[in-house]
Amino acid sequence: MATVETAPAGAFVRPDGKEKVTGTGRYTADLTFTGMAHAKFRYADHSHAKILRIDTSKAEAVPGVVAVVTQADLPDVKFGGFVQDRYLFAKDVVRFEGEIVAGVAALSEEIAASAAALIEVEYEVLPAVTDFEAAMGEDAQLVHTEWASYERDENIESSGNTMAYHTIVKGDADAAMTGADVVVKGRYVSDASQGVPIEPRAVIAQWQGDAVTIWSSTQVPYAARAGVAATLEVPEADVRIVVPLLGGGFGAKCDLHFEAQVAALARAAKRPVKLVFSRQEEFVAIAQRREGIAMEFETGVTREGRLVARRARLVLDKGAYCGEGGFLGQMAAMHACGPYVIDNIEIRSYLNYTNNQPSGSVRAPTAPQVCWGLEQHMDEIARAIDMDSIELRRRTLIEEGDEGPTRQIFDRVGVKETLERAVEMIGYGRDLPEDEAIGVAVGWWPCMPAPSGAYVQLNGDGSGTIITGAQENGTGAVMAMPAFVAEELGMQPGDFSMLYQDTAAAPWDMGSCGSQTTFNSGRAVLAAAAEVREALLDAAADQLEADRGDLELADGTVRVKGSPERSVSIAELAGAGTIHGKGSGEVPDAPECDAGGCVGLLGNESFLAPQLITQAAHVKVDRRTGVVRVLRVAAAHDSGRILNRMGADGQVYGGVVMGVGMALSEGTMLDDQGRQRNPHLLDYKLMTCSDAPQIDVEWIEYDAVNAGPRGSKGVGEPPQVPTAGAIANAISKVLGAQVRELPMTPERVWATGREVGA
Amino acid sequence: MTRSFVSAHTVEDALVAIAAGARPVAGGTDLVVGARQGKAPLPDAIVAIDRVEALAGIRHDGPLLVLGALVTHEALVAEASVREHLTAIADASAIVGSHATRAQGTIGGNVMNASPAMDTGGPLLCFGASATLRSAAGERTLGLEDLWSGPGETIATPTELLTSVQVPLPAPGTGSSYVRLEYRRQMEIAVVGATAVVTVEGDRVSDARIAITALAPTIRRVPEAEAALTGTDGCAEAIAAAAAAAATASAPISDVRGSAAYRTAMAEVITGRAITAALTRARGGSVPIPASPAMHGTH
Repeated sequence: MATVETAPAGAFVRPDGKEKVTGTGRYTADLTFTGMAHAKFRYADHSHAKILRIDTSKAEAVPGVVAVVTQADLPDVKFGGFVQDRYLFAKDVVRFEGEIVAGVAALSEEIAASAAALIEVEYEVLPAVTDFEAAMGEDAQLVHTEWASYERDENIESSGNTMAYHTIVKGDADAAMTGADVVVKGRYVSDASQGVPIEPRAVIAQWQGDAVTIWSSTQVPYAARAGVAATLEVPEADVRIVVPLLGGGFGAKCDLHFEAQVAALARAAKRPVKLVFSRQEEFVAIAQRREGIAMEFETGVTREGRLVARRARLVLDKGAYCGEGGFLGQMAAMHACGPYVIDNIEIRSYLNYTNNQPSGSVRAPTAPQVCWGLEQHMDEIARAIDMDSIELRRRTLIEEGDEGPTRQIFDRVGVKETLERAVEMIGYGRDLPEDEAIGVAVGWWPCMPAPSGAYVQLNGDGSGTIITGAQENGTGAVMAMPAFVAEELGMQPGDFSMLYQDTAAAPWDMGSCGSQTTFNSGRAVLAAAAEVREALLDAAADQLEADRGDLELADGTVRVKGSPERSVSIAELAGAGTIHGKGSGEVPDAPECDAGGCVGLLGNESFLAPQLITQAAHVKVDRRTGVVRVLRVAAAHDSGRILNRMGADGQVYGGVVMGVGMALSEGTMLDDQGRQRNPHLLDYKLMTCSDAPQIDVEWIEYDAVNAGPRGSKGVGEPPQVPTAGAIANAISKVLGAQVRELPMTPERVWATGREVGA
Repeated sequence: MTRSFVSAHTVEDALVAIAAGARPVAGGTDLVVGARQGKAPLPDAIVAIDRVEALAGIRHDGPLLVLGALVTHEALVAEASVREHLTAIADASAIVGSHATRAQGTIGGNVMNASPAMDTGGPLLCFGASATLRSAAGERTLGLEDLWSGPGETIATPTELLTSVQVPLPAPGTGSSYVRLEYRRQMEIAVVGATAVVTVEGDRVSDARIAITALAPTIRRVPEAEAALTGTDGCAEAIAAAAAAAATASAPISDVRGSAAYRTAMAEVITGRAITAALTRARGGSVPIPASPAMHGTH
């Protein structure tokens, strides 16, 4: 077995790998500062209630308490990505069980916890809105009575509890439906689920004068900086976010999360203050979980398998606040179309406020749930016209020149190849025992164009430093950047160190989200490296008295092509260490489309450089218990050119296992007040290593146009998109019926099988 | 928060600390998880008994196999006489929690925690195991069915320490198994479990002991199921009748792990599989340890 020391030449070795696996790595919770106090939050006592009075005097009187903060101590500023609807601490109303009413800093965690419990809060309890479909009823209790007065993105269409309403419309779906040979309908409901990073969140804030440094386990340090600056009304220049090693995120550590509350406590305490979450808080208090969705699909199809019309109605559980998840409804609507040619489309999507935990971006937000529903619907369509479901997909998947849901014209896409490869790898169609079956699902996910910036500098000894705003979420995407730069400069990855995860060091970056690190941050780093390359070529041309065009960078030298003896080492050229480059690269434009008939345009109405995925799952169903085991998953992906094969494969392994968990066991259960019933790892069941199936990965590679560096696309999120759908289609073949609720727990599979007498 | 922690090296040291109010801890697997989940705070005073040699090890004592309170699940699974004669215990210990739980968690802690979902409980009950409790006042030995008084409750007084568990070795011709419904392959807790200990003489089942786990406030034997199997030839109909009796005897709750209706239905399925595995073993056939994945067809 290869180890760090013995890994074969060229294999990708993560610079942070050794410290992580040997236990020497320092995560945020491992840091300690002189005089540091500990923070605890007082959470809401009801899922929905007016706050009549908050009395912190008993908490303040506890010996060892150094600060107590409520919203009354802070600027009257609300935050939220598309709708500004939340205060750092609840001001007048609490809207979900994890809402923070007050923060306490004390000399020990125990003192802080006991003081937080002494804060007196008087409430007027309001009815809790937990059913996200009923939330849009005319008589429903409003979650935000003042919704109409909130600041919001101009493209967000809101009404009452529907925080955002979106449509995707193409042609005339009603008319086309009447003309279809067969119309197939299906309803599917997905529970909410969680990202569950193994490192619970930690934040430490320390003020020096008017400036604050915040160490935070965040995926998005620049968003956190902006959020702290806005809510505490301090300049961004005075806020520095540093991310120590991050123990996973999966989207759950996106958005502004507690950095501002801890900074406010530290300012009031005049000490560094540290917050470390328990596992239960990690489940309950974060405003970032995968949303529950109720989906109704209706598709008109010809006997030959042409999709003439698609109608869909999607209702999403936004939870109590917008956060960064204002776009979820439009994203879900695009996934209700999928990577298929559909003549006429009418998708309606409702993102509804409830008194449940807020939803936000967890790995490919909305896509795995909607794909799970849609791909079962596709299998149902195939059965309705008596066609093999693979053949139906062959006839309807997009290819170059086809038109998308808003009439974007696709460049080359490899989705049909992914279908054929996945089906071939898994051995689709072969005989299997009667309790086993193979299911297939296809999904897609857009690339997210965003600005980024980077510096590359050479040191006097010929080593180099890469300074990037990119955030390492555990995916290895940032870790791969020395390899990209080294290749550009004819050097070795080990020649470079990296300065990153520090907002004071590098230009703005979107963070570890949206599968964007290689796509955008990689582009910036390569642009910076290109400037260094130009500088090296200029210097070498002088020194070697050669034409620039005759020079190449290789083996740590600049040399004349064909005459390697005429060379000068990069170390010599680096001289005093003044060679440096900066870059951002050109952000690719969103594809042109015709979205004039659509409501709520937030930018996802066309998909830039879509990543396309087919997965085939071989499962075994214990009919008598409903327990499903996934034996094997064949994953064929189009992410354009793969720049780091080991890292890309790793994303697929992780995404598939996360997808298996979502398919079979991971679901947040709520009581009638919207409180979580399983906020811990005993009853929120992640898949273990022992449950992981055999996973075979293939990449359909080509140079994607209008995409990421070197013809690449994103990689990180798509692996989870079709996994649950593929498993669902396999289960339904064994049972002879669709399981219409996600996760497809043993009890749900058993109940479905019993209904049809399987 | 724990204010006092002492490590005992003899049973007498441990008993002194316990008499002064300390809670004994061996593997700590229930204590720490319970505290983190907010079920119960860590005790004010703890006495670690993991280094008390007198509580360690497995030994034969005539017809009994004596398990020291500190014997881990991992050690139970590895013990040849447990695998051969008390196979259901090996089945159970092999699937408790995770690798880490099995290496750390002890039979003594398991028994005294008295969870209605404990995996080793059904096998111990069916084999007629007894527990020895010691305090400064003396020692007493009682059957587990008398020890367990309710979910998480025993009749042991706060000053008593469990020192060993005695398990009678069963008659020749006996086969046993413990089967658990498993949503995933590791880190599981029993939602439904069943134990079967059957003795076969010739082609007849001469004795049958059947217990259900996580289906009632305590782990309990099901006399109706035992009667349905005893005296039969162990045919499919007899197994089905015994399994149905186990389901009838179940009184499960509905919670996040499953509804009462599902658990009741599973009681029948899992009991049937446990009996099948035990009969196979009693007749000299082979069922791998642990039996659960093999009987679910998912090994």
